[in-house]
Formats: sequence, structure tokens, C-alpha cells
Amino acid sequence: MRILAPSRPTTKAGPARKDFRWTPYWFMLPYLLFFLLFRLGPSLAGLGISFTNWQVAGTTKFVGLANFQAMPHDTRLLDAVKNTVVFTALTVPLLIVLSLALAMLLNQRRKGRTFGRVAAFTPFVMMSTVIGILWTWILEKDFGLLNMYLGRKIPWLVDSDVAMYSIVITTVWWTVGYDMVLFLAGLQDIPRDVYEAAEIDGANKFQVFRRVTIPMLAPTIFLVVLLTVTNSFQVFDQVYVMTAGGPGTATLTLVQYIYTVAFQFQKFGYGSAVALLLFVILIGFTLLQMRAYRRGVEGVGA
Amino acid sequence: MNTNRILGGILWYALLLVVIALSLGPIVWMMSTSFKPEGDIVTINIQWIPKTFTLENYRNVLVQYDMLRWTVNSLIVAIAATVLALLLSSLSGYALARMEFCGRNSIFLLIISMLFIPMQITVVPLFLLFSGFNLVDNYLALILPIGANVTPVFLMRQFFLNIPGELEDAARVDGANDWRIWAWIVMPLARPALTAVAIIVFLSTWNSFFWPLIVTQTDASRTLPVGLAQFMSLRPGMSMSAQAYGKSMAGAVLASIPPILVFFMLQRYFIEGVSKTGLKG
Repeated sequence: MRILAPSRPTTKAGPARKDFRWTPYWFMLPYLLFFLLFRLGPSLAGLGISFTNWQVAGTTKFVGLANFQAMPHDTRLLDAVKNTVVFTALTVPLLIVLSLALAMLLNQRRKGRTFGRVAAFTPFVMMSTVIGILWTWILEKDFGLLNMYLGRKIPWLVDSDVAMYSIVITTVWWTVGYDMVLFLAGLQDIPRDVYEAAEIDGANKFQVFRRVTIPMLAPTIFLVVLLTVTNSFQVFDQVYVMTAGGPGTATLTLVQYIYTVAFQFQKFGYGSAVALLLFVILIGFTLLQMRAYRRGVEGVGA
Repeated sequence: MNTNRILGGILWYALLLVVIALSLGPIVWMMSTSFKPEGDIVTINIQWIPKTFTLENYRNVLVQYDMLRWTVNSLIVAIAATVLALLLSSLSGYALARMEFCGRNSIFLLIISMLFIPMQITVVPLFLLFSGFNLVDNYLALILPIGANVTPVFLMRQFFLNIPGELEDAARVDGANDWRIWAWIVMPLARPALTAVAIIVFLSTWNSFFWPLIVTQTDASRTLPVGLAQFMSLRPGMSMSAQAYGKSMAGAVLASIPPILVFFMLQRYFIEGVSKTGLKG
């Protein structure tokens, strides 16, 4: 996804050769075979299948836009879209604020900062199913760690009003260290003399943060927002383990729904159509964000 | 002035402690629970250190589930996928960065454009493809698609763009062909990039869940994440009793040991790798 960040690498040409040679194609061939067979091909096929009624029984035929026309009447799908949007709207701001705060804290030259960084990153190296199992236990109603500390009996995963918050808390704990590392890299790219200049001008800490750190960090913020939104829209593992989309449809997300439709009901056509909907949402958001970013950069540059 | 510095120091350590406690607390709790006998898991008071240590949970989880098999499956798949991705990406990345050929930029753009396409679009066709060849529940179905990953190609190309050309030129003057230059000059230089790619591919394969969940059906090919998800087949709050969490936590601890070990050993590369690429694999 770095390609989206504005710092595009300049392409240096290799040794110039005019005559046609086969060698480069031989270097490319092994990868291209895998790429065609397992990436490009399936992507195009997925597009095609979403216009069919392919399922485990019955004959498959082209049905045009029928799958998409059925979507507005599919209440479970509408729930899934709503839940995914809510999950993203809750998770992304939390993650951005917390990971930036963590990065600012642990970017100071003080004792123990490396340990702090390693600690904050450790949850991210654990596998999603372990995270799901661990937090199911922590959020258990009667003997879970969180409720014991709160001195309450909140039915975190069983009550449809709070279940989504449980997924949000789990996800933030799991991935905040990853975003922190991205922000740390961004902070370290800011040249020191910019800060020194601001100090000489008599700027206070808050002014430095608003007028120096945030604008200089804009490319990193852009990248982190893009990555967290993309990942939030594709949330699946934690949900599958912790609630399986329940109770009812309280935590049913888009990818959970794709999984259910395509692989439990084996409606391949409709499942692909929902995956295509996810793609359209993601690409729409990406384009929107790129436009906002470009406008922002122009605004600062002026 | 001095009191300010002391106060700042106290605040720093207090915040640092909060960060460490919140990050590692749940992991310590997972370990703590895994060593408790069933009766102690449901005490009303919080017991961070088990009153009586027991390995019963570990014994139970290993007897009742084929965790060993899942682990071996995960290792085979992750190692094979890493080797495959390293080979394919170092060849294609080198050509894309250092060779001139017709269609180079279009091919690169086509490859990169796949980063925008969520993998959920590809899973149905991939599943139909592998089931068509009777390869569902087979290692190949787990390994081969990783070869098509875009990120390793992108990273290797990026690295090769920035190596100095003199070495290649000198070798060419000495009569070496492209294959020799790639194998004997370029690849040894690329060790840092290869390490970064290896870590990313290994870890993302080791942790991957969605595709293995779809394409594995028995313990013969089931990987660790998919196997572990079965612990939760009884839904929480419905029928899984709190006592049963001892066993789940033992399984979770066992599954976490390899990635955490790798992380602490290669910590430097990790954080560098993430920050340089901003990618997950």
C-alpha cells in the first residue's frame, strides 16, 4: 500500500540495451504464472461469477444484475454493511489517536522506551484466533478479568448492544502496536532542525504539535488511515472466533457474511457479488481519501 | 527546574508502566489461567499468580486435540510458502528493477494494481479451482496462492532499484550472464531485503486464517489458527463453562510461543520491516 503514499520512488533505468532479449521474460515467467493462476485470474473470475447464480445445486447461468438487485432486499446484508461501517467508525479513530499518542510517548529519549515499544507491539505478533480466544475469556461475564476489575457483570459478548464494543476493544488492543510502529517511523523522518526552528520562534508544545508534527506527519497519517480502514472493512477472524456474527446479527460483518453465503450455503454467485460490493466500497473510500489528501497537501503548500 | 524534571520522570515511568501493563497484562493472564487447576479458574478474587501450579490443562489440550499435527502443518506450509515467495519475488523483482524490456511498466502496474483488490473476491474462484483439481484439504492449496503475493515482488524491486550498478557492470565485463549475476552478485547483496520478505511472508502465512478455514477440512491439513478456532465451537455465554478456559488458554499459550520467540529474536528486523514497508504481507 506504500505505493499510495506520495513519496513515489524514481525509477532508475537498468543498463541500457537496445536489442531484444528473452532473459527478462524468463526472470518474470515463474512469478507471472503464479500471478495469473492465483491472483489476476481469480480476481477476474470472481467478477464474472458475481453475475451468475452459481451454487452447489442446479445449473449455473448468467443472471445479469440479479444478484445486485437482490441486495437492497437482503436484510442480513444490510445489517452486515451497517455493522461493518459502525465497527470501522469506532475502531479507526480510536486506533489513530491511541497509536499516535503511544508513538509520541515512546519516541522520547528516555530510559525504557525500547521495552515499551516491544511490549506494545507484542500482541500484534500473536495469531488472530489466539487473540479471539484470549479476549473471549477476558470478557467472560462472571469470571472474566475485565468484569472482575470493573466489579460489574457486563454480558460483553452475549448482549447485542455491547457485543460490537467487545470486538472493537479486542481489535484495538491487538493492532495498536502495529500502527504505533508506522507512526514512530514517520516521527523519526521529521528533521530535528524543524523542531529547533519552532523552539527558537517561541512555540509552545501544543503549537509545535499542531503546526509542525501533524503537517509533517501527513503522509504517515494518510497511510495509517488507509490501512486501518481497509483492514477494518475486512474484519473477520476475531468476529468468527468470538461471536460468529451474533448474537443475532449484532456483530455480523461483511466478510463474515461472504463466508457464510459462499462457503456455508455454497451460493458462490451471490457470495462473489457481495465480495464485489466490498471491493467497490473500499476503492471508493481509497479514491475519496486520496482526493482529500491531495487537497490537504495543496492547502498546506500554499 | 529540578522538581520539574523529577515530576517529568515520575510521569514518564507511570505512563510507561500503564502501557506495559495494558499490553502484556492480558498475555500474562492467559499464561496464569493456563497453569491453574479447574477450581481456581473461577475464583471470585483475581489471582495473577496461581495458588497451585498444574500442567493438567496442557496435558488435556494435547490429548483431546491434535495440536501437534496442526503445528507441523503450519510449519510446513509457512516454510514452503516463504521459500516459494523468496524465489519468485527475487527473480521478478530483479527483472522489474534492473532490466529493460518491452511491457515492463505495464506489467508492474498490473501487479501493483492487485493490492487494491481485496482477497475476498478471489476466494470463491480459488476454492473452485482447487476443488476442481481435488486439492482441497491439501498442503498445495495453502502454499501455492502465497506465491502470487504482490508485496514481496514490490519490496524486492524496491531494494534492487537502489543497489549500485557498478558491480553488475564489472561482472558483465568479465563475461558473466544475467543468471550468474543474479545468483552470485545480486542475491548475496539482497540479504537484508530477503530477511524482511521472509519474516513478512512467514508470519502472515503462520497467522493466516480466512483462506485456511475455507480450504482445510480435516486435521490432515488443518493449520494451527484453524485448529484453535475449534476451541470456541461451543459459543461463549451459551454453553462453554468458565472452567474450560484453562484448556483453551493452554492451547493459546502453546500457539503463541513460536511467533513471540521469533519476534524477540528478530525484533530489530521486525520493527524495521514494518516501518519500511507498512505492509502486512
